[in-house]
Amino acid sequence: MITAFFSAVWVIFRKDIRVLLRQPANIAATLVPPIAFLLVNALGAAAVGRSPVALVTLDHGAKGQQMAQIIHNADVFRITDASPSQGQALLKNIDVVAVITIPADFTQRVDAHVSSPIEVTVNNLNLDFTNDIRRSVPDAITQYYQAQGNASPIKVKMQEINLRHRDVEFFQYNVLPTILLLLMISGLINGGLATAREWESRTVKELLLSPVSRAAIIAGKVFAGFAITFILGVLVLLLGYALGWTQPQGVYWLSALLTIALVSLFGAGLGVAIGAALRRIQVVIVISINAAIYLFFLAGGIGVLAFEPDWLQNIAAFVPLTYGRHALEQAVFYSASDQFALDMTVLALSALAALVLGTLSMRRGITTS
Amino acid sequence: MYSEPAYTLRVIWACMKKDIRSALTERVFTIIGIFVPVNVLILLSLFVLAGSQAPTAVVMHDTGPYAQQFYTAMSHAHSFRLRLADANEAQNLISTGRIVAVVTIPADFDARIQQNQQVQVGVQINNLNTDFTNDIRRAIPLSITSFYGKAFPNLVNITPREFDLQPQDTDYIPYLTVSILVIGLVLAGILQSGTAAAREYENETIKELLLSPARRWAVILGKMLGAFAMSIASVIVVLCVLIFVIGVWPVHWLEVIGFTLLSLLIFIAFGTLLGTLLKVRQPVIALAFGTSIPLFFVSGAFGPITFTTPAVQVIAQIFPIYYAIVLQQHAFHNFILNTYGIGINALILGVYALVLLILASLVLRRSTLAH
Repeated sequence: MITAFFSAVWVIFRKDIRVLLRQPANIAATLVPPIAFLLVNALGAAAVGRSPVALVTLDHGAKGQQMAQIIHNADVFRITDASPSQGQALLKNIDVVAVITIPADFTQRVDAHVSSPIEVTVNNLNLDFTNDIRRSVPDAITQYYQAQGNASPIKVKMQEINLRHRDVEFFQYNVLPTILLLLMISGLINGGLATAREWESRTVKELLLSPVSRAAIIAGKVFAGFAITFILGVLVLLLGYALGWTQPQGVYWLSALLTIALVSLFGAGLGVAIGAALRRIQVVIVISINAAIYLFFLAGGIGVLAFEPDWLQNIAAFVPLTYGRHALEQAVFYSASDQFALDMTVLALSALAALVLGTLSMRRGITTS
Repeated sequence: MYSEPAYTLRVIWACMKKDIRSALTERVFTIIGIFVPVNVLILLSLFVLAGSQAPTAVVMHDTGPYAQQFYTAMSHAHSFRLRLADANEAQNLISTGRIVAVVTIPADFDARIQQNQQVQVGVQINNLNTDFTNDIRRAIPLSITSFYGKAFPNLVNITPREFDLQPQDTDYIPYLTVSILVIGLVLAGILQSGTAAAREYENETIKELLLSPARRWAVILGKMLGAFAMSIASVIVVLCVLIFVIGVWPVHWLEVIGFTLLSLLIFIAFGTLLGTLLKVRQPVIALAFGTSIPLFFVSGAFGPITFTTPAVQVIAQIFPIYYAIVLQQHAFHNFILNTYGIGINALILGVYALVLLILASLVLRRSTLAH
């Protein structure tokens, strides 16, 4: 009995893998979105947080030169030194977000203890860039005062305590959600198509009428979707490791792999459930991609959940991918197992729920196909 | 017998009608296809809703006037969503990921400020990634400097004086949603036309089309018009949400209509080309999503591409999505995002449309069906 069960699972698994391998276009379609996301991330990362500005230094006095040097060293801008006319041209040609001008009488005014403004002409197209400038210029001014040491009139200091032992670069941080997106797209599409194809090619009749349990059919299909998805996920993780983006340490390799396995299982299970419920390849693809993108975004795929409003965080708490993302972050970036049990439990239960849904959809199939 | 032009018109009409009917039989796909762009609009908007404002708890051990002024300076720093909390509550909030920073104002803040003594403000940061963390690291000094600028204008006299190039600030959502309209056009166009073209090969009905005496350009035109009609529904939904729900009122209405139709034509032609080349709907749909969303990210969706890296600038200018975003930002906000001028940007899109139309016709002309 058990041998027959596993034999059926193995046959279905092998058949689905062979069908998939015959369709390189599908494999490419699964890989293209996450790889494109990774590429976009890598290309754009260098510009994040550092706005291009033109610096016009009209003051040749000591204070003006010091301020210019501090703005250069502040690591908050990408600076082009310019004359006033060059600065205006750069602004007009949209080559810079802002022109920062240190006026000619800056040193004189600072020495006279009168108001000494630094002029900032900003192309306030949108608040993202504008607020970066609004934060960065005062930041440079603060650094100017800090450089005065005990003579600085500013006595309030910031005592920073970081919750985590290391900073993670913006690009690295986005690699993990992209891996999760890959897992979901691959799991949903491969699981969904393997199932829906049986209906479109009418081979489902043979499957459902055969003396094989529904559970074996579901298990074979889920196992095939899971295997492909898990392998893809591990390959991308290894690629990230080779490139220095994702580097789990020691035992945390295991927790990273376990997380990838559970997300793959959840994706493949859900895919089979969707495939059995919808039974049309075209609809399955579009629903699967939509579902994957929704789950990706709601788990904080392009942002940081902690920055979002409470109601959005509350929604994210019901998205299994949120826990997958948390577990991967802990394993890959922080070598920690914070909330590991919770994350794994939610992912395992979600995968189980997806499997039950798949079995129910398949069971319904025998009466309607 | 029909005359040649009348016959060609009939072919175009028949192909268009057939494709619309076929699309309507796939109800679920059509409905989802129509609402995909709105979904993307909603999801992207949600995640930039509060992205630039760090949820922060302020623990005020001192409630004196200077401490209050410091709190006010923080609230004007364009960086925080502040809430007051006691120390325990703040720790609980940051450890559960509900906030990303805790600022602690010490009990002797006012006294030390009055006596011109050093005072340390504790800032605990959930340093998840450098982009968000650095915003907080910059915003605290900004708050400190602006606090001093207000409380002690004679001591701290270096301040920024801002001149804005645009008459008013544009919030991130109204800016971004206009860019998202373009991805709506991309998805709507490619999904409808790509699946319509690939369906002919999957059902092997392409044989009849290719063997018929109909001109292939007429077949292509009919199919594209069918996809155009289906895509328009999607575009109308996105435009309605953008204008009436989000409240982004276009400055140049005619430009919105003109550039929308032109962009749609390009992406429909591209979808037809893709569907004819791939001949299977599945990869067409996956590639529609898989390529358009990442391309959207590099095509200046978040701001002018000149503010980003040279590599991104080169890639963006290869694809029509970039020019479509530039034109729509002008149509809605009157923004100029590159130096080519509106006419040249529109001309570039026109050339893309023409080239893609010719390519799609050529590919269909050379198309065969394996038995």
